[in-house]
Amino acid sequence: MEATVGSANTIGKLNSEAPVSKATANYKEQAAGKTVGIPFVEHPKMSMRDVQVYYGDKQAIFDVGLDIGKNEVVAMIGPSGCGKSTFLRCLNRMNDTIDICRVEGSLKLEELDIYDPKLDVVPLRARVGMVFQKPNPFPKSIYDNVAYGPRIHGLVSRKSELDEIVETSLRRAGLWEEVKDRLLSPGTGLSGGQQQRLCIARTIAVSPEVILMDEPCSALDPIATAKIEELIAELSANFTIAIVTHSMQQAARVSDRTAYFHLGKLIEVNETEKVFTNPDHELTEAYITGRFG
Amino acid sequence: MDKLSIGQHISGQFNADLEALKTELLEMGGLVEEQVISAVKAITSADSELAEQVITREEEVDNFEVKLDEQCTLVLARRQPAAGDLRMVLAVAKIIRDLERMGDEAQKIAKMALELNEEGEAPRGYVELRHIGSLVHQMVINTLDCFARFDVNLALNVAKEDGRVDQEYKSAMRELATYMMEDPRSISRVLNIVWAIRSLERIGDHSRNIAEHVIFLVKGLDVRHVSVKEMQRKLGQEDD
Amino acid sequence: MSEKLSTIDLVNKNLARRYRREKRFRAYGIASIMFGLLCLVILFADIIGKGHSAFLQTYVRLNVELSAEALGISDINDPSQFVRANYDGVLRNALRERFPEVNKRREKRNLYGIISNGAGYQLRDLLEQNPQLINTRVDIWVLADDDYDTYYKSRSSDGSEAYTGRFSETQIGWIEALIADGVVEKRFNRTFFQAGDSREPEQAGIRGAMMGSLYTLIVTFVLSFPIGVAAAVYLEEYAHKNRFTDFIEVNINNLAAVPSIIFGLLGLAIFINFFSMPRSIPLVGGIVLTLMTLPTIIISSRAAIKAVPPSIREAALGIGASKMQVILHHVLPLAMPGMLTGAIIGMAQALGETAPLLLIGMVAFIVDVPGGITDPSTVLPVQIFLWSDSPERAFVERTSAAIMVLLGFLIVMNTLAVLLRRRLERRW
Repeated sequence: MEATVGSANTIGKLNSEAPVSKATANYKEQAAGKTVGIPFVEHPKMSMRDVQVYYGDKQAIFDVGLDIGKNEVVAMIGPSGCGKSTFLRCLNRMNDTIDICRVEGSLKLEELDIYDPKLDVVPLRARVGMVFQKPNPFPKSIYDNVAYGPRIHGLVSRKSELDEIVETSLRRAGLWEEVKDRLLSPGTGLSGGQQQRLCIARTIAVSPEVILMDEPCSALDPIATAKIEELIAELSANFTIAIVTHSMQQAARVSDRTAYFHLGKLIEVNETEKVFTNPDHELTEAYITGRFG
Repeated sequence: MDKLSIGQHISGQFNADLEALKTELLEMGGLVEEQVISAVKAITSADSELAEQVITREEEVDNFEVKLDEQCTLVLARRQPAAGDLRMVLAVAKIIRDLERMGDEAQKIAKMALELNEEGEAPRGYVELRHIGSLVHQMVINTLDCFARFDVNLALNVAKEDGRVDQEYKSAMRELATYMMEDPRSISRVLNIVWAIRSLERIGDHSRNIAEHVIFLVKGLDVRHVSVKEMQRKLGQEDD
Repeated sequence: MSEKLSTIDLVNKNLARRYRREKRFRAYGIASIMFGLLCLVILFADIIGKGHSAFLQTYVRLNVELSAEALGISDINDPSQFVRANYDGVLRNALRERFPEVNKRREKRNLYGIISNGAGYQLRDLLEQNPQLINTRVDIWVLADDDYDTYYKSRSSDGSEAYTGRFSETQIGWIEALIADGVVEKRFNRTFFQAGDSREPEQAGIRGAMMGSLYTLIVTFVLSFPIGVAAAVYLEEYAHKNRFTDFIEVNINNLAAVPSIIFGLLGLAIFINFFSMPRSIPLVGGIVLTLMTLPTIIISSRAAIKAVPPSIREAALGIGASKMQVILHHVLPLAMPGMLTGAIIGMAQALGETAPLLLIGMVAFIVDVPGGITDPSTVLPVQIFLWSDSPERAFVERTSAAIMVLLGFLIVMNTLAVLLRRRLERRW
C-alpha cells in the first residue's frame, strides 16, 4: 500500500493554467496526482487550484486543489495546525489582516478571481460570509447585530425593509421565536448557542452565496451544537457551506463531502459516508479512528 | 491494500476493547467448529452421548452471542468508532449472528443423530454426509482463519468452496431421492440423513456469509448477493 | 534517617512555618498601605488645618454717614459722579467718628488700615444699586484688612492669645474695642471664589486661576485627544510593522519621560518667539500642555485599541465592513473608555503642571479674571506657587485653600471620568 501512495504522487502536479472545464473533465487523473478521492466537481461554486500559503518563510499550505459545489456542505477536518483554518480563511481573504501571510495559486468564486490585486474585498466578503469559532456578536442590540451588514452594504432604503431582513434572517437562523420580544436587548446577553446562531443570522442577513464556518461549535455545549448542526442542514438548501471542525462526528453528520488536511496538504477528499466508513488514504483512516500520537 | 489493524489507537482501552471482541469471536468460532465436527461424528459413529453433548453445549454458543452483542453495543456507544474500527464492530455483530445459526444447525444434526439411533441406521447417505461434512469443516476453519488474519484471498476461497458444497449437496440430494423412490420403506430414516446434509449445506452458506463480512471488514466493499465472479471483479478492480 | 516520616507528617511539620510566612507576606502589604494612608492623612490634615480659615473672612461694621457733600455727588442721575465719588473719605470719617481720640497723622493712617482698601469699591457698588441711600446714615459691613483678619482669626475667645505680628499696642486696642462693640464678624469668604489675584490678601481670589486652568485644559483636551486618538489608531490599525514605526514607538515612549520644562522651552521658542503669539495666554499654555500630554494619551489609547477583542474585528470584517467602518463602528466605541482614562490621566497631569507654564509667562501677576483663551491668565498650580512666595501671613492660609481647590478640581475631573466611563463601557 506504500507503493500505491508513492506512485500516485509521482503522476505530477496539475496545471493551474488549465481552464476549469478541462480540469473537471479529467479530474480523476489529477486527483490521483495530488489528493486521494474526488476533490473536484462539475460546475463548482468555488474552485481552488495549486494553493500555497506562506507565513513569512514558513509554508503553511502545499498544493491544495479543491472544489466546492453549489449548495454543497464541505467539511474540513484534520489535526491542529494542519492548515484547514488557514485554507478556509483564504476563501474570503480574511488572511489579508495578517501582514506576513502570502497566498499563491488560483482561487475562484465562480468566475471571480479572489486574489486579484484589483479586487475589492468588501463585496467579496458580502458574497462569502464567515462564522467564527467563538460566538462574537457586536456589543449592540440583537436587531443592530443582524441589521449591521445590510446597513453597511446599503442593501435597504427603508426601515420596513430592514425589519423584514432582520426577521427573515433570525427566522432562518432559528432564533426568531426566542428573541422576537427582546430585539433591542444586547446580543451579548444571549446564551452561547444563541449568540452563535445570532452570528449566523448576521452573516446570512447580507445573503451571501457561500458561508465559511470556522469551528462554529467548538465553544458550545452539545445541545447548542445539535441546534447549529440542524441549522447547517437547513441552510445547505440555499447556501454553499464550507465548515472546519475538530469534531469528526460533526463532519460526518453535516457534510456532503469531507476533506482531510494533514501538515498543510490536502490528503483526501471524498463523500462523507465513504470517508467515515472506508477512507482511501491510510492517514485519513488513522486520523478518524483516533490513531494519531 | 490491506490496511486493517486494530491496534495503535491513542486510547489503549479502545485497543483492548477491539482486541477482546476479536479473540472472543474466535473463541466462539472454535466452539461452533467443534460442535459441527461432533455433530457429524455423532451421526457417522452413531454416538448418542456425543449427540446429547452437542445439544447441551448449544447453550454456550447462545451465551457467547449475547455477550458479544453487548460488547459491540458498548464499543459503539463509548467510542463512536469510524472507518476500519466501525467496520470491525459491524462485522463482528453480523458474524456472531451467522455463527449462532451455524450452532443451531449443528444442534439439528445432533438431533438427527439421536433419531437415527432410535429408528435404526439409514441404508444410504453416510458417504455423502462424511464427504460434505469434511468439506464444510474445512470451510469453517478457513472462515475463522480469514477473519483471524483479515485475509481477503482466503475469504474469496471460502466463497468459491461454498459453490462446490452446493453442487455436492445437489448431487447427494438427487441420489438419495432416487434411492428413496426405489425403497419407500427407508424414507423416514434416509430423510434424517437428508436433513443432516441440508444442515451442513446451511452451515456452508453461513460460512460464506462470514467470508463476505470479512471482505466488508477489510475492504469496506459490500459483496453480498453477488456471484463469486462479480466478487472477484470488485476485489480485482480494487487492487488495481 | 532511622525513622521515616510519612509525607503528611512532613507537610504538617512545615505547615506552621508556611502559615507564618503567609501572614508576614500579607502584613508587608498592609503595612505599605497603612504608610501611604498615613502620609495622605498627614498631608490632608496639614492642608485643611491651614487652609480652612481662608474660606472665612473678617468683616467690620461701620456706621457711615453718606452725605452727598462728603462723597462729592451733586446729581444722582449722573453715573460718572458715582465712579469718581470719594468713598474712602466717608469710610475714613466713619472710622474717625468711632475713634475720635486718634489725631496724629501717622496714627490716623494706621487707623484707616483697619479696613481693606477695597472697602471703597464695596461702598460704591452698594450706592450704585441703591442711590436713595445718599444723605442717610447706614450700617455697612466692610472687609477688614488682612492683618486684622489674621489677628481676629487667631484670637482665642477671651482675647488673651492672638497672633499680633507687627501690631502696635494701639492697633490691638482698636481691634479689641471693635470686638467689644460686637461689630467684628467672620463671614463666608465669597471674594476668594469671585476675585482674581491681588496684592492684598483679603481681596485676593482664586477665580482667575481657576478659569485660567479651565481654559488651558479645554485647549489641551480639544487638541490632544483627537490628535492622540488619531495617532494611536493609525499606529495600531494601519501602520505596518517596520523600523520606522518602531522608531516612532520608541520616541513616543521617550517623550512621555521628557521633563516638562523642556516642553515649556519649546513653547517659548516656537509659539512665542517664532509665531509671536502673546505671552501668558491659555491658548499657548494649552498647546504646550498638549505636547506634554500627547505621549500619555497615545500610549494609553494604543493599549485600549489593542485590548479590543480581535473577534469583534473579525466579525465586522467577515461581514464585509471596510477598515474604516471596523474602526469607527467597533474599535473606537469599545476602546473609548480606555482612551478616556488615558486622557483624564493626561489632563490631571496637565492640571498640576507648573514648570512649562512658567516659561511661557503664565506666572505673571494678573488681576482680571480671564474671559477666554486669549486673555492673559494664570493657572491654579502657578497661583499656589505665587502665593506661597508672598510674605503676608494671610497668604499662607490662601495657599492651602488654593491647594484644596486644586484637589477639588481633580476630584471633580476624576468623578466625571468615572461616570463617563460607566456610561460608555459595554460588555462583550
